[in-house]
Amino acid sequence: MLSIAGLSKRHPHAPRPVFSGLGLSVATGEIVALTGESGVGKSTLLNCIAGLEPADAGTIMVGREATDILRLDEAERAALRARSIGFVFQAFHVLPTLSVAQNIAVPLLLSGVAAHDHAARIEALLARVGLAGFGPRWPASLSGGELQRVAIARALVHGPTLILADEPTGNLDPRTADEVLALLLERVREEGASALIVTHSQHVAQCCDRILTLTPDGLE
Amino acid sequence: MSSLTWRLSWWLIRAQFMTRRTATALSMLAIALGVSLGYAIHLINDAALADFSQAMKSVQGEPDAVLAPRDSSGHVPLALVDALARDEAVALAVPVIETRVRLDNTATTVRLIGLDAFSAALLMPNLMPRQGGADGGTTSIFEDGVYASPALLARLNTKVGAPQGLPSVAGITATRGEARWTTPIRGDLPAVRDDELLLVADIAWVQAHFGPREGVGEVRLRLAPGVSPAAWIATWSARLPPGLGLRAADDNLARMSNVSRAYRVNLNVLAMVALLTGAFLVFATQLTAVAQRSTQFALLGVLGLPPRMRLAQVLVEGLAIGIPGAAAGLGLGYGLAVLFTRLLGGDLGGGFFAASSPVVVPELAPAAVFFVAGCGASLMGALYPAWLNRIQPLAPALKAGFAQQAPSTLSASRHAKRIALALVALAAVALTRLPAIDDLPLAGYTAIALVLVLGIAAAPAATRLVFGGLERLRLSAPLRIAVQNILQAPLMAQVAASGLIVSFALTVSMVTMVSSFRTALDQWLDDVLPAPMYMRSKGVPLPADMLAELERPQSPFVRVERMATVMLTLDPRRPPVALLVRELDRADPAARLPFTGAVLAAPPGRITAWISEPLQELHGLVPGQTLHLPLLGREVEVFVGGVWRDYARQFGAVVIAAADYRALGGSVAATDLALWPRPGQEDAAGRWMRAQAKHHGIEGVGSGEIRELSLSIFDKSFAVTYALEAAAMLIGLFGLAVTLAASVWLRARELATLSALGFDRAMLGRAIVFEGALIAVIGLALGLACGVAVGAILTHVVNPQAFHWRMPLQVPWAQVLLGAALTLFAGMGASRFAARQATRLPAAQVLASAQ
Ligand SMILES: Nc1ncnc2c1ncn2[C@@H]1O[C@H](COP(=O)(O)OP(=O)(O)OP(=O)(O)O)[C@@H](O)[C@H]1O
Ligand SMILES: [Mg+2]
Repeated sequence: MLSIAGLSKRHPHAPRPVFSGLGLSVATGEIVALTGESGVGKSTLLNCIAGLEPADAGTIMVGREATDILRLDEAERAALRARSIGFVFQAFHVLPTLSVAQNIAVPLLLSGVAAHDHAARIEALLARVGLAGFGPRWPASLSGGELQRVAIARALVHGPTLILADEPTGNLDPRTADEVLALLLERVREEGASALIVTHSQHVAQCCDRILTLTPDGLE
Repeated sequence: MSSLTWRLSWWLIRAQFMTRRTATALSMLAIALGVSLGYAIHLINDAALADFSQAMKSVQGEPDAVLAPRDSSGHVPLALVDALARDEAVALAVPVIETRVRLDNTATTVRLIGLDAFSAALLMPNLMPRQGGADGGTTSIFEDGVYASPALLARLNTKVGAPQGLPSVAGITATRGEARWTTPIRGDLPAVRDDELLLVADIAWVQAHFGPREGVGEVRLRLAPGVSPAAWIATWSARLPPGLGLRAADDNLARMSNVSRAYRVNLNVLAMVALLTGAFLVFATQLTAVAQRSTQFALLGVLGLPPRMRLAQVLVEGLAIGIPGAAAGLGLGYGLAVLFTRLLGGDLGGGFFAASSPVVVPELAPAAVFFVAGCGASLMGALYPAWLNRIQPLAPALKAGFAQQAPSTLSASRHAKRIALALVALAAVALTRLPAIDDLPLAGYTAIALVLVLGIAAAPAATRLVFGGLERLRLSAPLRIAVQNILQAPLMAQVAASGLIVSFALTVSMVTMVSSFRTALDQWLDDVLPAPMYMRSKGVPLPADMLAELERPQSPFVRVERMATVMLTLDPRRPPVALLVRELDRADPAARLPFTGAVLAAPPGRITAWISEPLQELHGLVPGQTLHLPLLGREVEVFVGGVWRDYARQFGAVVIAAADYRALGGSVAATDLALWPRPGQEDAAGRWMRAQAKHHGIEGVGSGEIRELSLSIFDKSFAVTYALEAAAMLIGLFGLAVTLAASVWLRARELATLSALGFDRAMLGRAIVFEGALIAVIGLALGLACGVAVGAILTHVVNPQAFHWRMPLQVPWAQVLLGAALTLFAGMGASRFAARQATRLPAAQVLASAQ
């Protein structure tokens, strides 16, 4: 679950704040689409939620214990991300020097999941994103769609309570985009996690439980 | 860190090593070289000192104290020997006479040790003889005759006490000056080390033939149990006549260790430089590694990698280079030590210890110290890159990659930087004014380090100064791109240049120091070799009959100058100082000695001594002062008339006129001759000299040969510096290539955009080569400036403090500029290589990899 209240953020040297007094809440198991014009601050909002950028005021409660991520220090924020948040980016951010299985194992290692069931868990998850047998392969040999499936598997593998996705299908052709998105929604629902998905696609938005639009005046 | 994060860490290290094999291997190699050099020097020196002390003990026994004259031509009076023997605190007083004699049979000189058989058996059992002949067995009764060490017997080709018991005893004739002793060899010395050439005889026989008449050479003392040697030595020293000195047992070892100390420290500094280049390579490798992987690290941060792990990972990667490097270095160092002790002996070719082959014994504690030093160097190299990695902000790094500059809050203002640089420069100048610390030029070495730091720190300012103006000119597109890149990415340019700055500075300084030294040595040889011919016999007076021949009117020489050498102990813990008694004109010493400054005439009635430069450095003397010399059994005050240059005797020398020495009651037993042949009789003179030299086993050479030999020894001993210079330049060029390639990689997106805008591959390649050349120009210019400064510190501060000799500074400009041109050329080659790597990627691939 996620609940935001009174969030204000202004970039250094920027003439006006990106948003001020913003409120938002996503219930457990709910999938919310976030749309809005380019440059309105969608990525900034996601970064604030994940604790990658500081905010000027407000609270952002994340995870089962409803921890306010803005009150944590850098190390605690990293630990919270490792435990409770999964991230999918627009670009296929996969570590090029690790194999597919190793990429997916990184969140398990960082969240301290005992090592003995890593392999089985990763293999099962790969099968569920349609990449059975891809574990030992290197990212350079995968297509864009395949890479984004790897990213989805990695975002889900440690059982996070919140998935943040920033235009997860923006770099894919429409057909692959639909496939990958369907897969993402299916897996999120299966895990019972909450999700906030930034998208420009009406089609994607309609597949979600709720659609929010970010404007310079706030959320609608 | 948990085992899980260790696993992640290991994956990243492995991936890193696999993708950057050359850079990693070279960094490891540099660390290994630094460790091996330092460790080998330590092992060799340890082995040599242990070997020396063992050799000394085997011949000297292990006395608690030794009473000896401070003047090597002096003696200990018999009355004093008796007084010592009566002292209750003395358990054993062993009188010894030790001298060098020439053996007619072999044309060599050997040590002859005269012992009192009864007392010596207790203190120096190793010198106890074995009778030749059928009955064999060790005896403590000396017969009339000598006993020879196994090595000497082998040399004499004489068999004594052959297994079958056949008596096969030969005789020898030992001479020293006019004294002569023909005697049979009675037996051998089974316990003497097999590299010692020596003879042992009863002290009474030695005294009878070679003196001293009224005393003995020295007394070795064993004190009664419970007597403190230090306290006992202190009380007795106060009662001794001025010509005698008591030294404690450990003084000998300290003196020996002092002999080669500066040389060793110098080698250790070289090892440290090698370690530092290792640290630099780790720095360059890890900095580019951090830059290349900034997106990956940002991603890992988003996935929950703790911030301290971003720091730790880079440090651990540094350690992963350092640990195998240091371990290999220990092995390599041990191998080098064994090899060198076999080839050169324990003095590393420095000529300080007598020929010996010490055994190298590795021990845990020093090995651990050198291992830690190697790991420390690589950690140090990784420190700044690790910190940069730690402070990269996650969100921007994920979007745009590596930020070259620290956030503005963290980077000091330009003004503060300038003040800091000025302070460092002031500190460096101040350090060159400081005296040696504990006889070592530590302040000088620190000043050198500061100069190098200053050079690196000045790189961005120099870049702005040199290329800032260029930016405003009309330039071709590739050149403009190159200039802009350097100005906009100062950190990468600084790293690329710093390798060249340091390596070129070291090269220039080394070349400058060697060239200054060689020029000075050349000049000095001219000054100190006025005669066409020289004869010399080490340690033993020249044969009396030969000297007599020179006196005859038909001798082929117009002029002969004799010199005798006496060793004086001014400080028991330092090597003795040579007193050179020379036949020279007291009114015009400058005709024979190369003075460095004013020559003062002594006040009437006073004896003048002219001291060598090393002695001046060691004792802080100036002309006009009074020097106290332990001469001929008393303390003699001499007037310091001047300081002369001496590159031959590192531990100091004093010259006094033979006439003065005779007036003091000394007798001149010449060991060295300078000979001027009669005009027209040069050939006869040469023949005479060679015949005499061959007959007596002494040296006889022309001044030209001495000069050639000295210069060739000099060139050989500095040949290794050329290898070091080449290695340094290669490392610098490698640093340039690595950082250039990395910065091209980092700018892949920008380069792709340029090629999309119609900037073709050839132009791109040219831009990168220009960039490399511009960086090389900055690096070489700063390196040259630092190199001349470091060269000046080496010649004017480090050399006088470590080796006690001075010389004028002489920069070999032609050589240096040629080196710079070659390096610039090689730097452009390295950039070409980086450029080829970059432009081989098709634009689309470049764009993809930039995401
Ligand atoms: N580090 C920064 N410093 C200053 N301004 C920034 C920074 N990052 C983003 N901005 C500004 O903040 C605003 C919001 O940016 P953000 O990336 O959140 O937009 P977005 O809604 O994700 O746009 P898009 O749909 O194009 O991805 C933009 O006007 C951007 O220029
Ligand atoms: Mg965005």
